[in-house]
Amino acid sequence: MPTVVLMDSSLSMTRPVSVEGSEEFQRKNLAVHGLTMLFEHMATNYRMEFTSLIAFSSLWELMVPFTRDYNTLQEALNNLEDYDKTCLEAALQGVSNVVQQEWGTACPCQVVLVTDGALGIGRGSLRHSLQTVKQRVEDKKFPLPFPFPSKFYVMCIANAEELQATDGMDNLEQLVNLNDGEGQIYTMEGPLCLKSVQSMFGKLIDQAYSPFHAVLRCGNLTSDVQVFPRPEPVIIDEEVDPLPKTVQTDLEIVGFIEIGDISSPPVLSRHLVLPIAVNKEGDEMGTGTSDETEEETSTNQMAGKSPNFCVLLHGSLKVEGMVALVQLGPDWFGMLYSQADSKKKSNLMMSLFEFGSEPLPWLGRISQLGPASDAAENPYGEDDSKSPFPIQPKHKRSYAQNVTVWIKASGLQTDVQKILRNARKLPEKTQTFYKELNRLRKAALAFGFWELLKNMAELLERECTLLPDSAHPDAAFQLSHAAQQLKLASSGDLKYAGFEHNITPMLTDFSGGGGGTERI
Amino acid sequence: MRVFSVSHKTAFVVDHCPYMAESSRQLIECDMLTKSRSQGVIPLAPVSKSLWTCAIECSMEYCRILYDIYPTKKLVNYIVSDSEVHILNSWKQQDQSTHELMAALAAVGPPNPRQDPECCSVLHGLVAAVESLCKITEYQHESRTALMDTADRVANRGRIVCLTNAKSDTHVRMLEDCVLETIQEQNKLAAGSDRLMPIQQCELVLVHIYPQGDDTLVSDRQKKELSSVLSSEVHSVRAGRYLACKLNVLVQQHFDLASTTITNIPMKPTLNVCEQEEQHANTSANYDVELLHHRDAHMEFIKSGDLHMAGSTSRDSGLKETVTLKWCTPRTNSVELHYCTGAYRISPVDVNSRPSSCLTNFLLNGRSVLLEQPRKSGSKVISHMLSSHGGEIFLHVLNSTRSTLEDPPSISEGCGGRVTDYRITDFGEFMRENRLTPFPDSMVDAAGRAPVERAKSQLERHTRYWPMIISQTTIFNMQAVVPLANLIVKDTLTDEDVLTCQKTVYNLVDMERKSDPLPISTVGSRGKGPKRDEQYRIMWNELETLVKTHVGTSERHQRVLECISACRSKPPEEEERKKRGRKREDKEDKTEKNGKDTEEKGWTTDSERLKGVMEREKDEQSECEIIKDSPDSPEPLNKKPRLATEEQQPPEKSKGPVSLLTLWTNRITQANSRKHQEFAGRLSSVNNKAELYQHLKEENGMDVHENGKTTR
Repeated sequence: MPTVVLMDSSLSMTRPVSVEGSEEFQRKNLAVHGLTMLFEHMATNYRMEFTSLIAFSSLWELMVPFTRDYNTLQEALNNLEDYDKTCLEAALQGVSNVVQQEWGTACPCQVVLVTDGALGIGRGSLRHSLQTVKQRVEDKKFPLPFPFPSKFYVMCIANAEELQATDGMDNLEQLVNLNDGEGQIYTMEGPLCLKSVQSMFGKLIDQAYSPFHAVLRCGNLTSDVQVFPRPEPVIIDEEVDPLPKTVQTDLEIVGFIEIGDISSPPVLSRHLVLPIAVNKEGDEMGTGTSDETEEETSTNQMAGKSPNFCVLLHGSLKVEGMVALVQLGPDWFGMLYSQADSKKKSNLMMSLFEFGSEPLPWLGRISQLGPASDAAENPYGEDDSKSPFPIQPKHKRSYAQNVTVWIKASGLQTDVQKILRNARKLPEKTQTFYKELNRLRKAALAFGFWELLKNMAELLERECTLLPDSAHPDAAFQLSHAAQQLKLASSGDLKYAGFEHNITPMLTDFSGGGGGTERI
Repeated sequence: MRVFSVSHKTAFVVDHCPYMAESSRQLIECDMLTKSRSQGVIPLAPVSKSLWTCAIECSMEYCRILYDIYPTKKLVNYIVSDSEVHILNSWKQQDQSTHELMAALAAVGPPNPRQDPECCSVLHGLVAAVESLCKITEYQHESRTALMDTADRVANRGRIVCLTNAKSDTHVRMLEDCVLETIQEQNKLAAGSDRLMPIQQCELVLVHIYPQGDDTLVSDRQKKELSSVLSSEVHSVRAGRYLACKLNVLVQQHFDLASTTITNIPMKPTLNVCEQEEQHANTSANYDVELLHHRDAHMEFIKSGDLHMAGSTSRDSGLKETVTLKWCTPRTNSVELHYCTGAYRISPVDVNSRPSSCLTNFLLNGRSVLLEQPRKSGSKVISHMLSSHGGEIFLHVLNSTRSTLEDPPSISEGCGGRVTDYRITDFGEFMRENRLTPFPDSMVDAAGRAPVERAKSQLERHTRYWPMIISQTTIFNMQAVVPLANLIVKDTLTDEDVLTCQKTVYNLVDMERKSDPLPISTVGSRGKGPKRDEQYRIMWNELETLVKTHVGTSERHQRVLECISACRSKPPEEEERKKRGRKREDKEDKTEKNGKDTEEKGWTTDSERLKGVMEREKDEQSECEIIKDSPDSPEPLNKKPRLATEEQQPPEKSKGPVSLLTLWTNRITQANSRKHQEFAGRLSSVNNKAELYQHLKEENGMDVHENGKTTR
């Protein structure tokens, strides 16, 4: 979940705050202090996160495009200049553009707005934007809700009382509501000082940037892991089951399936599964990137040298071309597999399936998947040539059966011509002739299209008269028999018009010289 | 997403009154004579469908698309109305198929034009439809039962699609009023019943069908709320293909569908499955096929505004939009795991047209096709994939935007990444043995466990003793142990299995007698590695450890262990040595962990460690007595391997590099230590502190402590 930090650089941010003691702070300084804390947290605990920095006043500017380099972000933050008035709408539009350009509309993003809650006056002010929100034309829509899934966090360098004194708070709340309620407003508690700004950003970190640690388990083999980005709760059916489902911290492998059998399943999200070494204090030792202190490096080396289940699992999944089915919670499953980023680098990845007991129709209900060794006969075959997947659905879909559709005239004409073509090749094509004839008969009966049956009968009778002298005598018998049967069916007489009834070929015997005794 | 939305229940009401027998006046020429045969033959008159036939075939098409895309949870109740009501099926899932409906329709037959029009009305059907909507479906029932006290969260909504020939706008108004009234009545009734539910929301879709060439007597009307429960819309449509288009549009609206046209499908003879009857089989032309599917498959286009760019209007109806995606000729069947954000069932619009059936047959034969999306910028990107799974075709949405997970640290840079001798192949074998397979719904074992629970418990059994790296194990590197190792993890053993295990053990005894070499890793060791008898001792210990973890499973497992214990029995003094050896080994483990700062730093393999063990053993031979009395002795031998699975992080890993002085001092101390008998206390000390009265702890049932630290 990439993050966009939207920093208010309007003049009002330079308002001084009275701090007991020596130095005088501006609100901007407090904001920078808070963001510094956030960046530091991300650099150590959330370092795979892409973050970008946008500064805005009446205009907006992308200061740092999405990056994992928190030094660059920090530097840009420290060098922010002060501009004119606040104009939030344009800036939000900017956020929307920047995110869509980089990640499209499917990738969830977090937007962190840092402001003093003075949201401008007159045209371009948030108040004005919100008042006109309903009167927009198609191409000048208000940027919220964002077209991508998002969380909109507002960090106010002001306390709640101050915001409530104006309509700042109301406007901000309205803003979050516009984003389908996805987001939260944070205000400072107590006096505006470094401590309270720290506590405010601390809350944001707990809410949005706490790393997700879990234990990956395969029977008795386990590994501590960090799952990144952290899996977010999902709501299945807001009406029947409004409680969000969360991924549990115990990820239990259920069994293994070939990549070909799991067959590019649709997933809710993808996550890196990074093995971590948990030391006595309980905090992780990092997952290995460049700039660490010497001490960290040596501990990392140690961790690198002790066998880890994740590495074993990853290696085998990669070599065998398989995935591990993993249980994420009650009725929720996902898969673990090896994902190659480049030729050299590859990683253990986890994808979450849709919540539910049957996320993939071709696997069936997951609770009904058991060890292949329990089956009476090896479902994969002795030489691994077979597979129990995919599961066949009970009913075939229309395109997998020979359905009859006559909505277009051509559909009907094709079916009629097919019968006539076979009629001319009797008796060789007797089977196909009756198969096609019965198909037409069934559909005509269901559609109440008796006229067609009569018409077809006439066509067959005429076909009979046109038979060349060289024709097999059986052809004439079959044609008149079929025509007669169709006529009977078109009368609606239940004896002949039964849907499941089929016209069977007339039994003729020309070998014995008996000469076409009818035996029906 | 809501399961019990309006589209959960659709009641189809089709008018079966005498006037529906009227011709649609759309003529179809059936008698298309080929030139050579046409002389002297008068062609037959063309046929025309009745209004009834038009209504039925279009409603069947609606159902066909619906069932293709939603095989479950979207239910249809089909009602035919004349002087009475014919209810052709129920809400039951098993009744939901076009075949069932067609059979029932054949039984009803076309309307009888001679029936008394006075006693026939579509009203009977509408009343029945409302009654039917009040009936609870199996899904609603299931959900209500599962929710218990919050059962009221299960909503009851539905839609009535009525195909009729109305007299006038007033007639339409009358039908609407009737539905509204019936809902109010039925809701009162339903409130007092367990098997009925009041209708919370109902959409009435009235489709007025009139013959071609006539003027309509009924005007179209947009959706309008008639009450808080009922909304109604009126469509006035000419019979024939106009009606077909209308119902196609409606099914899309009602079930959130969208249309994709696959373009540039090459129909070369090689791809062609149904060419026999086609004369142009040898020409390669490009065809288009239109598919319907859930509209979420277009989410990315809709949001990014690429929809209009990508789409063109469908050729058949000017009403709907379709997104055009280009066929990319598939490579050979490579098995690849695509990052796919959604998969949606499809239904071809024109199911039995040649291009459609060629495409679907191609897919049903197991090939996948990637689809390319034309973009505003002119660049091309693969955005979708068509693929069939078990006879169902799905449109997969592939992720085509930048990934937030790009450039992650390689797994080799993280924890355990520097270890090179993982048992990758063995674990691969393990995964194959633990592959999953579907079991029928009734399959629960004696303990009432679902198959998935059995799978988990099998994994647990198979991993009770499973060293992750090659140098941690001897037995798993030996072909001779395989039969036993494969059998012992099983839940139940037969007598024959036990016999096989015993044979394996005898075979090992034989090997030992013959002093066959064991595959104990000697990589990087100085000298020859451990002695043969020491190797076997280690092997037997490990084998015992493996079997011991399964000894509780059954009495037969126990017999395997007994066999091992019996076969490996040694003269008493050897037993002693063994015990000490084990103790020493544990200690060595410690040394190894702490060992980064000692001279023994280089000991990375077992064999080297063993060498050390043995050297020490010689020196310490005389301290037997003391050690023999050690309270550690009775503990089973499976301590060391457990380390492998349960303690992945050595406890003292945080020590930094060591100074030269320390290295030197250690070396001297070590050299000196060999020249005299070490005090027992110092020998087992940590930081020169020895824990006293260790045995007390153990007698209290705690884990064994050695050197003041846990070994497990």
